[in-house]
Amino acid sequence: MHTYKILKLLPGNKFLLVVCMLLLSTASKSQQQALVAIGNVSGAPGDMQLSELKAVFMGEKQRWKNGDRILIALMKTNTPVGQTTSARIYDMNANELNKFWLALVFQGKAQAPKFFNSVSELADFVAQNPGAIGILDKPVSVSDIKFINIDGQKTF
Amino acid sequence: MKRIIFIISLVIFFTIPKLSSAQDTQIRGFADFLTTYANDKASFAFDEQDLFITSVLSDKISFLGESVFKFNPSSATDFSVSVERLIIYYNLHGNNNLVLGKVHTPINYWNVTYHHGRVFYPTIERPLLFAADIIPLHTVGVGVNGHDLGNIKFGYDLFIGNGLGSTEILDNDKYKSVTAAVHIIPVDKLRLGVSWYNDVVSKGANVEGKIMNWKVNQNLFTASVSRFGKKFEVLAESTAGINHTDTTGSKTTFASYIYAGYRIKDKLVPYIRFDDLHYQNGEIFYNKNNSTSIVAGFRYEINYLAVIKLEYQYQHSELLKNTNKVIAQFAIGF
Repeated sequence: MHTYKILKLLPGNKFLLVVCMLLLSTASKSQQQALVAIGNVSGAPGDMQLSELKAVFMGEKQRWKNGDRILIALMKTNTPVGQTTSARIYDMNANELNKFWLALVFQGKAQAPKFFNSVSELADFVAQNPGAIGILDKPVSVSDIKFINIDGQKTF
Repeated sequence: MKRIIFIISLVIFFTIPKLSSAQDTQIRGFADFLTTYANDKASFAFDEQDLFITSVLSDKISFLGESVFKFNPSSATDFSVSVERLIIYYNLHGNNNLVLGKVHTPINYWNVTYHHGRVFYPTIERPLLFAADIIPLHTVGVGVNGHDLGNIKFGYDLFIGNGLGSTEILDNDKYKSVTAAVHIIPVDKLRLGVSWYNDVVSKGANVEGKIMNWKVNQNLFTASVSRFGKKFEVLAESTAGINHTDTTGSKTTFASYIYAGYRIKDKLVPYIRFDDLHYQNGEIFYNKNNSTSIVAGFRYEINYLAVIKLEYQYQHSELLKNTNKVIAQFAIGF
């Protein structure tokens, strides 16, 4: 039976309750989804604090210790992973994130991140570019990338 | 000789493809459409088209250019093109860069944050101090800058340029302008900044179409505070301009504005801005015209590339009639 039909059978108050629960569960899904940080074998360290990761993705830290320029790889903000990344790393919605980066680039303070449609494209980009770092929702099997532990954990 | 040519050819062969593959160029832009109601009539206008280009040339070198196309009645084609920024960055270390070229003088928060991107402006127009030429908007020269250093996210700019009265390609005198600015972000989104600008304007220099009959030593001091949070937005900035001539001594002008907005819905921000220009009697470098203005309006952000603003503006000035205007703007990024 379709959800709509089930909802129609419920009395008014219960209907509202179910709608609220559905909305809450959808909203919290993006907060709960686990993320994985990956980096090119050159540049990014194997372990980072979450605050350090945020500083990198906010454009506040632009070079790795070895001098490599940090290249940020993000899933597009219309993808579920992109939306989760916006919320968890940036504390922004998709629109705010796009505005944030456009402003930063326009001010000459940072180079724009690369946005991708698929996880495999993002992983390939990170693998091929020294200094690159990206966020995924699950580990992928691509050579020349390393998984970065965040606060000692594989996912965050 | 043949060996040298061979070696050079090899170097070119192996270097050019590397540079080409490293290059990453993006072209973006801004434009806006205006409707103004003043003096019992409505007018339509497009303000200017702003194109900006960024390019990463190598791991260390990048470029940013900003050019504006706008209406200019004195031009044969009714339009003119102005190069607003042309900057080559060379990364020195971490977040520290060498900066070469034409920049928006880093003395003013608004000047270095919004540039010509009308879609970013919190209000429709820039503060009064821009139209009054209180600060030098552009400087051609060389400098260093850095940002997000340490826990308080310290940032700095030090820039030496040709100064007022110069052209884009030649200094009119031996004096160089110096701009020094520092800022910190001690807590999330709260930015505090101070800056100083010094220049000596030679007698006979042409500054914004005004010929100087005196040698002027100019010092500008600016302080700014800004916080653009999820709900509440505030930006306040004040400049003290001290112009010294041998005949008039030092005269001080204060130019200030304060903006506040509050996001009442996801896309809707009502706002207000108050501007004040106050010149000391005897001021001869600026065109003395004590003015105040108030703007009140709201901003509707369709998305980050399309913003509508509707605003009421009232301006009172010493030399001109009071003005009342209602302006609507549709600003876009592309």
